[in-house]
Amino acid sequence: MSNPSSSPATSAPIVEIRDMDFSYGSKIALHDIQLAVERRRVTALIGPSGCGKSTLLRCINRMNDRVPSARVTRGAVLVKGKNIHDEDVDLTQLRKQVGMVFQKSNPFPKSIYENVAYGLRVHGENNVEVLDDAVERALRSAALWDELKDRLQAHALGLSGGQQQRLCIARAIATQPDVLLMDEPCSALDPIATLKIEELIHQFARDFSVIIVTHNMQQAVRVSDYTAFLHLGKLIEFSPTELMFERPKEKLTESYLRGTFS
Amino acid sequence: MSASLPSSSPEANPFAGNQSAVQRRETTVRWLLRLSTFFIVAVTVAIVMHILVKGLPITLRSEFPYVNVKFLTELPGTLHVIFDKQGNATETDVNGADEIKKQLGENFREEKTISYSGGGILGPIVGTALLVVVSVSVALFLGVCSAIYLSEYASKGKRVEMIRLAILNLAGVPSVVFGLFGLGAFVLSAPVLTDAPLERSLFSIPLGLTYLSFQGWDTCVLSGGFTLAFVILPVIITASEQCLQAVPHGFRETSMALGATRWQTIWRAVLPFATPGILTSSILGIARAAGETAPIMFTAALAFKDKLPWQKDLPPLPADAGLFAHWEQSVERFLGIFTESVQALPYHIYTLAARIPHNEYSERAQYGSVFVFLLLVASLAATSIWMRRRLRGKYKW
Repeated sequence: MSNPSSSPATSAPIVEIRDMDFSYGSKIALHDIQLAVERRRVTALIGPSGCGKSTLLRCINRMNDRVPSARVTRGAVLVKGKNIHDEDVDLTQLRKQVGMVFQKSNPFPKSIYENVAYGLRVHGENNVEVLDDAVERALRSAALWDELKDRLQAHALGLSGGQQQRLCIARAIATQPDVLLMDEPCSALDPIATLKIEELIHQFARDFSVIIVTHNMQQAVRVSDYTAFLHLGKLIEFSPTELMFERPKEKLTESYLRGTFS
Repeated sequence: MSASLPSSSPEANPFAGNQSAVQRRETTVRWLLRLSTFFIVAVTVAIVMHILVKGLPITLRSEFPYVNVKFLTELPGTLHVIFDKQGNATETDVNGADEIKKQLGENFREEKTISYSGGGILGPIVGTALLVVVSVSVALFLGVCSAIYLSEYASKGKRVEMIRLAILNLAGVPSVVFGLFGLGAFVLSAPVLTDAPLERSLFSIPLGLTYLSFQGWDTCVLSGGFTLAFVILPVIITASEQCLQAVPHGFRETSMALGATRWQTIWRAVLPFATPGILTSSILGIARAAGETAPIMFTAALAFKDKLPWQKDLPPLPADAGLFAHWEQSVERFLGIFTESVQALPYHIYTLAARIPHNEYSERAQYGSVFVFLLLVASLAATSIWMRRRLRGKYKW
């Protein structure tokens, strides 16, 4: 794990959330969120169920747009310095830059190759050589290439649970995003598969930023450089992971981390 | 206190007691349910056996090629039956009648003519196949489009519920009403491009070289196919929508998160996986479209027609006609298929059974047609099932 204090941020935050309120209809889900995610770092979002961490994650690639009546009511979300709610934002281009991996691994019932190539295909890439290269690169990054290179045309659903989730990760990074959002990517996996994915996350931080929602606090310690603790739609504390787990500033954080949460 | 009770009575047999009334009711109910089911099965078997017994001898032959080729490859015609004085009957068509009468000479006793019962049933087979192809194509296109709209685009609310209700109501409309609708809408007032609008045209819009005239398509395959399409649309829309909804929600989310547009998502991540189910729904549509009589009575079907839809008299090409002229005429001939009226199996069966005097000859033609009709519907459905199997193997989750 890289120590954030020893390598100070050299550039502007890749994702910046400013004074954001978010609500589902009349129900306020997130209140006054301020968060600056640094480039090439892993940021974990933790907190009890229903605290809004997944909602916050989905604000960053506007996946909440799919829910009618859900909207940002105040503040702004900036990715690479650009407000993602600006009128000239092309959602498909935003999501090309901000990839996402879901809790439940959900490869398409197609071949392994077509799963990984999906993102490039929808962005109009049809050149076989380009696709082949991208598929290989993505599978290598997801540590799947050696296992799967001989059966790229096999059905994706024939893979094990851990392989399926890594395939979903390969699919998400095939378009070479700058930010990868991960929504509890290991919650359905066994410890060994979880370990493999955590290793991947470490490697990813060399090339892009990862924001991961997790229920597992040990996982947050293992993979992240920064941790944000949310409670009831509010961001209680945001600091370097080591600092937060050793000396939490807020009482609420401390009791949550200790497990004496009421 | 307990000592006053006979101690043996609760111990004797706690499961005994007079249960016979309850048991009898159980048995009665079980047999009622069982017999109802058996009755339905028996009726189904009876129908199939009846048609097999009556229809098989007409369609099949004991010697090579084992099928009644004449019955399957000839157009219907009037049957002439000539009796001699010994009571022997000879069956022939209108052309053979005089010859046989001459041969019999003095021995000739009587000649019977039975309309529609001679020849074969190629005309109705072709007509029904064409109507099914047109109606299922139109209904699948319109039905899948509206199912996609309802399932993927329309926001859930009162408006969508109203649309659904309207579609369900469409399913309840009696088929003869569809027939009259088709007559009014497609036969008499649908738009066509023509150089000279008919007098009955509702109105015509001049388009420079030609006119867009709302004068209808006449009685033809196209009118009948569109009318039948509306009969089967509710089935196809409802089933297609269910199939689309059955595709896991995660596929849509993932696809959108990868930067796909809504249509790309539907086209690449939803529709392929719903296709097997949608094809299943078209099986029901095929059977329904092939079987309906009322909607085609006024829109497409004739009781009798002595030509197949593509046997149209076109001006003969000059001997030195180029390849293009030949190609052009083939296209014209092909398109002409859809603007011809046809015979259809259900209407042919109705004609034989109810419109002409009943006798052994008409009954024969009638059961032969019914048998072939069932076979045709079954094979169309089998094709659909086979396609679905293949697609299912490819897309399963």
